[in-house]
Amino acid sequence: MFDLDIRSRKPIYEQLVDKLKELIINDVLQVDEKLPSVRVLAQQLTINPNTIQKAYRELETQGYIYSVKGKGSFVNKLAKSEKSEELQKVKDQLEKLIAEAMFFGMTKDELQTLIEEIEEQVKRGDRDDRQ
Amino acid sequence: MIVSNSISKKYEKSHVLQHVGLQVNKGSIYGLLGSNGAGKTTLLKIIAGIVRPDDGEITVDGKGVFEDTEVKAAMFFLADSLYFFSQYTIKQMADFYRDTYPNWNQERFLKLQQLFQLDRKKKISQFSKGMQRQVAFWLALSTMPEYLILDEPFDGLDAVIRKKIKNLLVQDVAEREMTIIISSHNLREIEDICDYIGILHQGQLLLEKDIDDLKSDIHKVQVAFRQKPETEVWDNLDVLYKERRGSVILAIVRGKEEDIVSHLEQYQPVILDLLPLTLEEIFVYEMGDAGYAIENILV
Repeated sequence: MFDLDIRSRKPIYEQLVDKLKELIINDVLQVDEKLPSVRVLAQQLTINPNTIQKAYRELETQGYIYSVKGKGSFVNKLAKSEKSEELQKVKDQLEKLIAEAMFFGMTKDELQTLIEEIEEQVKRGDRDDRQ
Repeated sequence: MIVSNSISKKYEKSHVLQHVGLQVNKGSIYGLLGSNGAGKTTLLKIIAGIVRPDDGEITVDGKGVFEDTEVKAAMFFLADSLYFFSQYTIKQMADFYRDTYPNWNQERFLKLQQLFQLDRKKKISQFSKGMQRQVAFWLALSTMPEYLILDEPFDGLDAVIRKKIKNLLVQDVAEREMTIIISSHNLREIEDICDYIGILHQGQLLLEKDIDDLKSDIHKVQVAFRQKPETEVWDNLDVLYKERRGSVILAIVRGKEEDIVSHLEQYQPVILDLLPLTLEEIFVYEMGDAGYAIENILV
């Protein structure tokens, strides 16, 4: 389903939580879909089952999934709050980048044109191809 | 659950273990790390009930281990130097284990042959070092142990086999809550499968912790300030190590990520980067704290 970066500095459990969140937010895993069992996932990824259990517990407290005794874990109806949390993150990044752009002499008008261009591209739907 | 209570062991005049108290929960994969000669093997032998501690006691599920056949029947100790009876084939060796371990699973033994692809009728002494280790794992997993104690288990195994074996271990932990204690000085090798870590140094247990807590509790901070920062910047932080590289300050800080960031942001840094540490780095800094030179550890 996905792969983890064992060599990464980020704890495996955090990687797991983030990856699953991403899949849920982007609707790859749909509401009420069953998540792979701890056993299956442990074997697929060759990581400690306890780590997976922990990640699932974390996702449950955060409201992304719910578990049914004896059946497994399922995707919860997503609370909209998470999308706004993501949005805030992007805003923070943008702020930093725009400040940097202005430092290098970009004017407000130039930024405006850039935004309009991007909007065009998003509308045409070819933004993703460029990346 | 394995609990040891202030275990000490002395060989002649040298204290190999001093007041070691460790706890291994059921279904956990416990990584025992340590410098060379820290006493890892001795500790594992005590846990396996082969060596009797001079002082303190060790219990497995509440029972003493030393020379207790019942406890040992559910335990398998895979030593760092392997031993097989000379002239024995794999099949003969398996027969021996089948008679010794009541939980021996013949079906599994046969199934695992497909995975290891070794000829059962061949003498074990004719195999290479790495293949002999595979035989050892094969036999160990066929005894269906509840406690598997591994001393430097991946020595001499190639990457493919290592992955296969780790996979088998993880499956057993997931399916029947097997508990594994695994010693190694190669941190990267066990970082991915352990959930608990104990660091042994000169006979003492320096720390024992959940691996994720260990990683999220300590950070590498890179920070730069426009003005010369006052020294008070670091006052309220638990700094393990600090170094200036040009205008950037590199520090190893203990504590929660949010706390560190919010504390440092008060001083308006130009650059502020926080990175978690690898197990290897944690080991090095913890050992540095204990006065062990870095060059001697990393192999």
